[in-house]
Amino acid sequence: MKHTDLVKAVALIVVIVLVFGAAMFGLNFYTGPLIEANNAGAVYGPLLAVMPEGASFDGEAQIYAADGSVPTTLTDVPETVAAIYKEANGMGYAVKTTATSQYSKAPMEITLGVDAEGKIIKVQIDSYNDTESYDFRVKDPGYLDTYVGKDSALADVGLVAGTTFSSTAFKQGVSDGLNALIANGLIAEGVKGDDQLLTEMIPTVFPGMSSLDGILKAEPIEVDGAVAAYKANNGSGFAYIVSKGETMVMAITNASGKCFVYDTEGNYVADDNPDAVALATAHAAANQEDFNTAAQEKFGRMMEGAENMTALELPNFSTVVAGASFNVGDQLYYGFYSRSYGYDDMDVYVIIDAAGAIAKVDAKTIFFDAEYFPVAQGVDTAAYKTGLQGLRDGEDGAVVISGATMTTNSMKQSINDAFEVYAGAQLTEPEVPTNE
Amino acid sequence: MNKTNTGMKEAGILLPLGVGFVMASSNDLRAAVGMGVAVLLALFFSAVVISALRKVIPQAAHLPIYILIITGFVSLIQMVMEAHFPGVVNMLGVHLAALSVSAVPYRDAEHVSGHMGEGPSVKTAIETGLLFTFVMAVCAVIREILGSASIWGIAIPFMQDFRVSALSGVFGGYLVLAIVFAVMRKVSGKSYEEKEGNEQ
Repeated sequence: MKHTDLVKAVALIVVIVLVFGAAMFGLNFYTGPLIEANNAGAVYGPLLAVMPEGASFDGEAQIYAADGSVPTTLTDVPETVAAIYKEANGMGYAVKTTATSQYSKAPMEITLGVDAEGKIIKVQIDSYNDTESYDFRVKDPGYLDTYVGKDSALADVGLVAGTTFSSTAFKQGVSDGLNALIANGLIAEGVKGDDQLLTEMIPTVFPGMSSLDGILKAEPIEVDGAVAAYKANNGSGFAYIVSKGETMVMAITNASGKCFVYDTEGNYVADDNPDAVALATAHAAANQEDFNTAAQEKFGRMMEGAENMTALELPNFSTVVAGASFNVGDQLYYGFYSRSYGYDDMDVYVIIDAAGAIAKVDAKTIFFDAEYFPVAQGVDTAAYKTGLQGLRDGEDGAVVISGATMTTNSMKQSINDAFEVYAGAQLTEPEVPTNE
Repeated sequence: MNKTNTGMKEAGILLPLGVGFVMASSNDLRAAVGMGVAVLLALFFSAVVISALRKVIPQAAHLPIYILIITGFVSLIQMVMEAHFPGVVNMLGVHLAALSVSAVPYRDAEHVSGHMGEGPSVKTAIETGLLFTFVMAVCAVIREILGSASIWGIAIPFMQDFRVSALSGVFGGYLVLAIVFAVMRKVSGKSYEEKEGNEQ
């Protein structure tokens, strides 16, 4: 390069740098404030979206950060809560929380606006990361609006049918956000109504109407005389919430029509509530699906030579919807048909011999065949079922399917429930819960 | 390079040079339009300045000077877009800044603006910018509708059950891009042959 070219090049580069430097400097006077406002909007935008018009958040707004990035005096904040902000004019709080279900690829990110009275102003999902086919916002576009105006009791806020796990996780995420505020005295706790307390009790008193992790698997139905009623998704029975003066009680019926009644404290109160028993048993008798015929035919196919098939009265409220005793030669067996909740609902048949060991297990579909494709490739379904033979109550090691947690849980639930009913079938008198 | 217009034949050569930012911005129509405008403006202003300075830029130093000019304009465009279209800038991520070192504006500078006057340079820059905007928009429409069941960020409810998620990803991006490239090449080849035939 010639000396003159070198000088020219250096001079040109210096001029270009100066010109663009000056242009950027000048432009920054215009764009700088806008970019700053945009950045603030990115932080506060989701918060403002869940607060009333006129709300504002300043530099002191954040009063809690899960990562410890801001000093806080808040305690007992659930792990799912990521951040809490206080609105500058005392309108309330914005809470960023997360929710995780069995279908989550990553936690759902939720922003929740709560007024100073503890009522939800608005709730929105900033990032939905569950399986797309279980997006409850698509299945029920108005679902998020059911939270508006509710306090921490979340009265009348249900779940979305078909996306029970995802909507339950979301509801729990919202509850966690409210609980963080309640725990620190920032808002008052909402009072739950009797019907809500009784509904929340269903998974405890009727495990067959819920998944193993306590998620209610039932659809609301209309029943004359009942404040609310639910039909188990698997057909294992019904729950009826009935008004009794100023309080309420809940009657539950299983697939055999057996009826228990509980008050809001969880006390067994059937004897004091004959009206509730009458309502529940009458409705169940007319509406309970009969699984005995199909189950007995299946037991007959599973155990060649089965005879003297006799239906069993189901003593409890599990996923077992039918049971029968039968003979093969001079051997006595008990067959149980359980409809448990796994990746999808499963129909599991368990036959237990008179000595209390599993004689045979079968299922209409073991869902890892369809849903856990990589697992299914490594599992010999026939060998898996055979491996369950001889198991006794409490021995569920062979039930585990590595990589298929939900199917494992479903099989465990079915087998455990079968053993539970088997134990009940040995009793001469039906078991009645005590109030201890 | 004896022609100043992009021309249909040029499209087949130009498109692979911009495959990086075309891929990055073609899964959403908003990003595609944003990137298209950025490319168009960067090419336009660079063409004006480089063609104006072409006689004073020493041959041995043209590369750093072209890059400086293109980078300067891309930075200014990015500042304006960050102020007014932060969502689009967020979608484009680092690919907007990386436009400075893309082969597309450098090729325009090296082959056209560095040798020709402002008129032909600006014409070529606009043609190139529009070509990329068109290609990115076509790819984005296909990928966003079929891959994300939305258009311009607005969900298309009846498409939700039919979307092909892979089209939103890298594989789908290359697939759509390859198809669009193939169509462009076919069309550009035919058009060029017809043009050559007419000229003879």
